[in-house]
Amino acid sequence: MERKTKKNDILLIVGLLVMALLFSMGLALYRQINTRQPVAVVRIGEAEYGRFPLNVEITETIELSNGAYNILKIENGKADITEASCPDGICVRHWAISKQNETIVCLPNQVVVEIENGEESDVDSMTN
Amino acid sequence: MNRIKKASVLAAALLLLCGLAVYFQSSRQPMRYTVTFFDMFDTRTEIVGYASNEEEFIRQAELLADKLLYYHRLYDIYNDYEGISNLKTINEKAGIEPVKVEREIIELLKFGKEMYEVTDGQMNIAMGSVLRIWHDYREAGRNNPSAALLPPMESLEQAAGHTDIRQVIIDEENETVYLADAEMSLDVGSIGKGYAVQQVAEYAREIGMDSVLFSVGGNVCAVGSKPEKDLWRVGIQNPDTESNETYLRKVEIADACVVTSGNYQRYYTVNGVRYSHIIDPDTLMPAEYAASVSVVTRDSGVADALSTAVYNMPYEQGRAWVASMDGVEAMWIFGDGSIRYSDGFEDYMVQ
Repeated sequence: MERKTKKNDILLIVGLLVMALLFSMGLALYRQINTRQPVAVVRIGEAEYGRFPLNVEITETIELSNGAYNILKIENGKADITEASCPDGICVRHWAISKQNETIVCLPNQVVVEIENGEESDVDSMTN
Repeated sequence: MNRIKKASVLAAALLLLCGLAVYFQSSRQPMRYTVTFFDMFDTRTEIVGYASNEEEFIRQAELLADKLLYYHRLYDIYNDYEGISNLKTINEKAGIEPVKVEREIIELLKFGKEMYEVTDGQMNIAMGSVLRIWHDYREAGRNNPSAALLPPMESLEQAAGHTDIRQVIIDEENETVYLADAEMSLDVGSIGKGYAVQQVAEYAREIGMDSVLFSVGGNVCAVGSKPEKDLWRVGIQNPDTESNETYLRKVEIADACVVTSGNYQRYYTVNGVRYSHIIDPDTLMPAEYAASVSVVTRDSGVADALSTAVYNMPYEQGRAWVASMDGVEAMWIFGDGSIRYSDGFEDYMVQ
């Protein structure tokens, strides 16, 4: 009787350990699938033009049908507009972005660059 | 064996309970949402708020955006819209006839006259003739930078002879506005946005939204606080746009507004010198006292008017003036990166 109880206790402990292990493995796997890379989403008007992961350095010329353009550069985990055909140049003067929901907007060209899956910003808004 | 079964059932029950707890917790707590619009006041409008679900928030945010769009059209001086008389209509009828307008235009112009008195003429909505000249030279200079020119002082001075705000005749009874000087025009660039945001913020309170943050092109206005009484945190942009330090200071607000007037966003360059879009009524030239001035106060329209007025003053004068007003604080950032505050500004600052 005594011997059997001990065996059952061990079985219970091992069973629980295996369950815990399976659970944590599952959780880790889920997290890995679900961890999405920060990405710069480019839109022209309402239409999505492309998605550019911040961990891949690229220089992309966003060309519009009317000959206007914005040059998007991804470097050091940040997205920046380095050159543009628009007359006001507000998008070019905007800082490189990497935080969640940060945007660079070129109103003349209707081009918007927005960060998705980025690190949370430490401000709710900004004034300039 | 029996014991393992028991333990398994117990474990499953615990897991289920945890899951339910997490589910109810998350569905009860308001979630944070952000919506962005690009069709108002030639800038980007962002509405941040908390609601129990996304559809509910988007529905409310769209109500606010519709209001803003309505104000934008009324206060526009460059475009016509079908079925409405706006400021452009009033400008076109200058010296010809009074124009019947919506209540929202009468109220804005009354507010503009009030701010003219408050700022001792530093904020003048009847300066359209002067601002129009700068606008045209700035546009031409941006489109063809090598041929950029400054407007001739004679034409600015000639235009400045037609900026007498008393010639803006408001007839409240008949709801008409008449510019008695044919050469005069309205330009509410320094208050229209702020005034509209204030009206929409009040509308948000009326429809029961008690935790919203508006940003209309950097014109930031907080309705209430965040849930749990947390304050909204607003970054004040570094005028040095090349710098890695995006925000020079951060302020925290609830039921208050922050507006910044600066020389580093909208400008054009003539012979290597920058000329910003904020024109000093005294010199008819862009003011150059500070790189930016931020004002914190309860009313967004007042914040907008005061930031322009203080930007157009030497620092000492502006500081004394801000100190003379209740519930108004300001921060100056100068071209060399140095920063000054009014006496109470640091109470808002995130240390």
